[in-house]
Parts: sequence; structure tokens; C-alpha cells
Amino acid sequence: MSGARHYYRPGSRLWLALRFSELPLEVLGVDASTETAMVVAEKQIVIYVNESAYKVGVRYGMDVTTAKLLSNCEVYQRDEEKEAKALQDLSAQLYQFTPYIEPYKSEWVTQAGLLLEVSTCLQLFSGIHLLTEKIFTYLHNTHYRFCYGYAHTSQGAWLLSFEQYFISGNENKELFCERLKKLPIQLLHDFPQEVEALEKTGFTNFGDITRQLDAQKITSIKKRWGAQFAQAICDIFAIEQNLQQKSLFDKPRLIYKPVEFFSENIQFDYPINQTDQLHYPIEHLLQNLSQYLRKRQLQCQYIQWIFSDIYHNHFALPVRSDTAESHWELLYDLTLIQLDNRELPFEVDSLTLKCQSAMPLQNRSQSLAFGKRSNSRESARSFAITMAKLKARLGDDAVFKLSYQDAILPESSNQKILLTETANQQLPALHKGALRPHWLLPTPALIEIRKRGLYWRGHLTLLAGPERIRATWWEKPEARDYFIAQRHDHVRLWIFLDLHKKDWFVHGIFG
Amino acid sequence: MHPTSTDNPDCTLDRLLGRSDIWRGQTKSLDVPAVMNTGYEALDAALLNGGWPTRSLVEVCQKGFQQQEWRVFEPVLKAGSNYVVLLNPPLMPFCQAMIQAGIDLDQVIVVRVSTAADFLASFVELARTASCDILLAWQQPYALSYTELRKCLLATNDGSGLCVLFRAENARQQSSPATLRLLSEITSSDIQLTLFKQKGTLEHSSQPIKISLPKAWTGLMPYHLLDQIPLPGKPDTTQRKPAKVTPLRRSK
Repeated sequence: MSGARHYYRPGSRLWLALRFSELPLEVLGVDASTETAMVVAEKQIVIYVNESAYKVGVRYGMDVTTAKLLSNCEVYQRDEEKEAKALQDLSAQLYQFTPYIEPYKSEWVTQAGLLLEVSTCLQLFSGIHLLTEKIFTYLHNTHYRFCYGYAHTSQGAWLLSFEQYFISGNENKELFCERLKKLPIQLLHDFPQEVEALEKTGFTNFGDITRQLDAQKITSIKKRWGAQFAQAICDIFAIEQNLQQKSLFDKPRLIYKPVEFFSENIQFDYPINQTDQLHYPIEHLLQNLSQYLRKRQLQCQYIQWIFSDIYHNHFALPVRSDTAESHWELLYDLTLIQLDNRELPFEVDSLTLKCQSAMPLQNRSQSLAFGKRSNSRESARSFAITMAKLKARLGDDAVFKLSYQDAILPESSNQKILLTETANQQLPALHKGALRPHWLLPTPALIEIRKRGLYWRGHLTLLAGPERIRATWWEKPEARDYFIAQRHDHVRLWIFLDLHKKDWFVHGIFG
Repeated sequence: MHPTSTDNPDCTLDRLLGRSDIWRGQTKSLDVPAVMNTGYEALDAALLNGGWPTRSLVEVCQKGFQQQEWRVFEPVLKAGSNYVVLLNPPLMPFCQAMIQAGIDLDQVIVVRVSTAADFLASFVELARTASCDILLAWQQPYALSYTELRKCLLATNDGSGLCVLFRAENARQQSSPATLRLLSEITSSDIQLTLFKQKGTLEHSSQPIKISLPKAWTGLMPYHLLDQIPLPGKPDTTQRKPAKVTPLRRSK
């Protein structure tokens, strides 16, 4: 309360920095506070050291072998995706306190955290003390350890998180500047070269820099250490650069946009045990989803139905489409195909539709032909339905496309892909001119060597060749001489002589 | 009570005769059905409307283990702008050959089946799909009865593309409701196609249509024939008998 009265002035900002120093290890589900020496590595370089490992001399940037020799530490591989996900989840939860949330990640050291602008929320939460208490209570419930810092600028708050001053409630810009002046310049992690130059010049803390600023202007800093460094100093202390209308040049606060997804539920008046009765609710929910997607210019490829009974049993039915859709009709047909192939496990009391992975609407090119091609969306839909029916009947593996894979051995260059994937059709010049059969045997078939020559379901005569293919010398060396052969019934075959086994094989048929 | 069209027998007959699936012997139907250009002049000339008939069943009987379908249908596959579905192909198509032939791999879909019932159901589904431009289906190793073939034919009438069913040579002796039936054979220099049933015509040419094989398939000339190629400005010596050479026996 008192904090709100003392600090808050319209237009002034108050930033809270939350620095998650143990994040790389904690996201891996490992407790960082144990006695065991532990490091997290990325590309064989140590990017995080716990306290036990630090005590025995392991440092950031060391290679893993040295770290192991020094401390016999446990090495974990970094998972940046998990770190980003953790920060995203924390942002989503902290959104209840303030809408202004920015993630912060240092480019030079493994330090990540969140910057919260809280000046507009002080009144709502009755002051800085109560707001901080609530935020900390929430964060203590998570398993992430954190350090905090308050300042009038986001960068200043981040730097003060390395000192963690007690919150008195009387903080103002002058006090924050005083605190910042005491900090060592080594905390400017993103400017290693400039820090080195400053150290050589005799600068030890931020106070030395501000004294320089008082004596000369910011231009002197800009001249000696560059515009980027000067800008960083201005950002830390909120130094105004002789601007007539500075509000125009204020850096806008980023408004956190929570991840939005579609989830809607229908409760039935009586339990449903026949799939036919679900058709109308399914259609209704899908129409709502379609409306939601269209309003946001989104489309989706994957939805999930959750059937629930009165005993809270759940049954999930995922539905995937080969093409992304914002219309409901295709998803409706695909859902019914899925439902036709199974029975309901219980009497359904409620039905939920979830769509958590929507993507922005892609620009669709459409043929300008006004004839039969004009209904391309309709034909794409009918094709998607046919493919879904076939997959439901034959299995997902039975319906596929083919793609070229860059490989030397012919059998390795043929690749099965999903219908949603795009086939690689870039054939190297080496293969473009070579004669290739239309059919490839799954595994090369051994050719008999008889008195009259080669025999595979008939006598063979060589027509052309050889084309030598050598591959995989680093594991199982392969060397083959390929020929075109004609069988007695005039069928042309693609055969090869295995130079290692000294045997002949049929590999393909010209069709 | 007003007379309806069904009351008038002439009207009913006209409507029946207007259907494309009514066999009218030598009388050609008034509306010319859509066809796909085969890419071979001789074949186009032999086919009723100058190309492969769409929305109907084309049956290709193949001799032995021959699979010359790519050579015969390559021009159609290249020209197609929509999906091409290969149902139950005998082997895996080789991507490199398809890219060389100019076939768009993104448009080619392979469907594998494990039972005759699955084959029939898949054929019917695919033939009815409007966006399936070309359906190439290999019946073997499954056997299809006349009724099942009739189901396939009816499904193709609902679609809009070219539907081809590849069958074994002995299927030629069996009755089939297919609109077009032909036999495909390969010789040392060409593929020979014999049309033995074509709906809408009773004429059957005894002469097979020949599609020449690519030059690369014919291979190199044997060494003993090399001197028989006439050189420019020199008299033709191809009539000259090659020298007799006694084969050497391998000593044991």
C-alpha cells in the first residue's frame, strides 16, 4: 500500500526481474542443490555448473573432459526446448499478476529469466510488498529456484537480481540508480570485449561509468566503446538522450499473449451409447471450432475428441487430416470414419472437442481454370476422405507416397513418406542420365549360374553395362557392377554382380 | 392424373438408350465420352474415341511376369495434373525412374492391400474419387469374379478418371464387363498391344499395335555383328555370312 503511494507515478515504470539461475538443470528434473557435482553441457562445452562442481574448479565454457577430470561430475545434455517451454509455462502463470511479461535470455552466458513490468498492477495488488509476496508464493510452489531484482528499467532490474536487495517499499529511481552504481561491470555479460577494455582503463563498477557520464556526455562512451554499448548503458539507467518529445521514443512494453486454444464441451441430458446419436453434437462442436478458426485466420490439422462418462472415465479419439482445414466438413467426415470403426467403451455423458495446435492460414494458390478444376477444394476434400477411409481399413502404413533420398545404394534412395510430407524430387546429375528400372525388388534376388549362363526365372543375356556403384566403405563396403539383361521372354532386368560376394543378383525390372 | 414420363414406353426407352453404360453394338453413342490421349498415335487411332476411355474400366492382360505398364502409360502419367494411385503394385516403384520420366512424385500414392476384399473395397473407393485422375490396379494374386468386376465397373462410372486393371494373361479367356480389354506382350524390339474387346465397336483388328522400346533397352550389338553395319560410301555387306567359329571346349 505504502509502496504504491511512494513509488507509483503515472508514466514511471517498475520492473521486476526473475532470474532462473538453475534452469538448465531443473528442467531436466534434477535437483541442483545436492552435494554431487553436476554440469550441463551443450556441444561438449559446459554451460551450467552447480555449486559443488564450481567449488572444485569447474567453470562455464570448459570442455566436458576437463570438467570430468576435475570433479568426476555428472554430465547432462542441455535441452533448450524444455527451457523455453518452462519459461513459457511460467509466463502463462505470471500473466495473472501483470500483462507485461518479457522473456530474457543472455546471448553469452546461460542466464534466462522473465522481466515483469508491474507499475500498473500495484494498486490492484495493494502495493509492492503484497504483489511481490504473491508472486514469490507462486514461484516457491514451482520447483524452480530464482533470484529477483526491482528497478526502474528492465535491464537495471536484471542486473540487480544478482544482488537481491530487500524490498523496503520506498524504492524510487534515485535509489535504484544508487544500487546499480555499486554493481561490478563484470555483470555486463553481453559485452565481454567492452568489459575487458573498461577493466584495463580502471573501471570497476557502474559508478565509474556514471561518473564518466557526469563529466562528459554519453557521446564520449559511444565514441570509445561503440553505439551498442552506449545504448545498453542508457537502457540500464534510463538516460534521456536530448530528445524533444521523448515519449515518442519510449520503448513499448511487450504485452504477453497467452497461448490460446479451442476447447468446448457438451453435456448430454442422458447417457449415449450409440455413435449415431453423437453425430449432431459432433457437427455442432465442429461448427463452433470452424467459427473460432475463421475469426482468427487459423487452420488446423489435428483435433481431439474426449468422451467422458459419469464416473469420470475418459476416452480420447484423435483425428488427423492430411491437409490443414478451417472448415468443419472434412473433420466431421474423418471423425465419423474413425467412429464407425470402433465401439464406444462406455455410455457417454459429455463430449469435449480440443484443438491445441492451430496454425496460421496459409495462402492457397488456386488454378484460374474455370472448368472442372475450379472446385479444387471440394476435390481435395473428397480425396482426403477417401484416403482416411483407406487408412481406417488398411492401416496407416498401407497408404504412402514415395520420395527420393540422397543415397548411393539404389535400395536406400527409395523412401516411403506420409501423404502430408513433400517428396524430394531433386535427382543428382549422376543418376539423371543413368538407365533406371521402374520396379525395384525389396531385396536383391540371387541369380543362378548355370552351364548356359545366368538364370533367373529364365535364361539371361547381358545387353548393356556395367555401371559401377561403390558405397558404404566406412561400415559394410558394397561394390556392384550393374547391367541390363534380357530374359528369354524379352523382359529387361536390372542385374548386378556383387564384387565382394562374386554373386549375381536381380535388383529391378524395366516395366 | 397427369401422365408421367414412366407411363410412356418410348420415353423410357430413349432414356435407357441415352445411358452411357448401355451396349448398343456398332451404333456409336451420341455424346462422346471423355478420353485421355495415350501418347501413341497408332494406339489413339485404334481406340474408339481417340484415347483411353475415362469413367470406365480398362483391362490389360499381361503375359507371364511382364510388366510393361510404365512404358504404355508413361505419357498419361506425365500429363496428369491430379493424383495417380497405384493399387496393389507387384513391386515397389523406383523413384529415380519416375523422376527421370517426369512423373510428379507428390501426385503418386501407393496403396497396399492384403486381402481380395480389401482390394475390391479400395478399388471401388478410389475409382469413385473425383480427384483421382489415374488409378492403376494390379489384381494379382487375387481372383475377381464377374460380379466383382461389375462392381469395379460401376464404381468407375461414378468417378472421372482413367481406371486400369492389370490381370494375368489367362484372364483373357474369362468374361469381363470391362469397356476396353487388351493383351500386352513384349518382344525383343517392341511392346505389342492387342485389343480384343472394345465397347461400341465389333471390329477387332488382328494386327497388334506396336510401341517401340527405348533404344537403350535394346542393348549393344553383339561383337560378331558389328562388321555388318554398312559404313558410309561402302556397299552393304549385311548379307554376308559370319565366319564360322568352332567354340573352344573348356578343359576339365
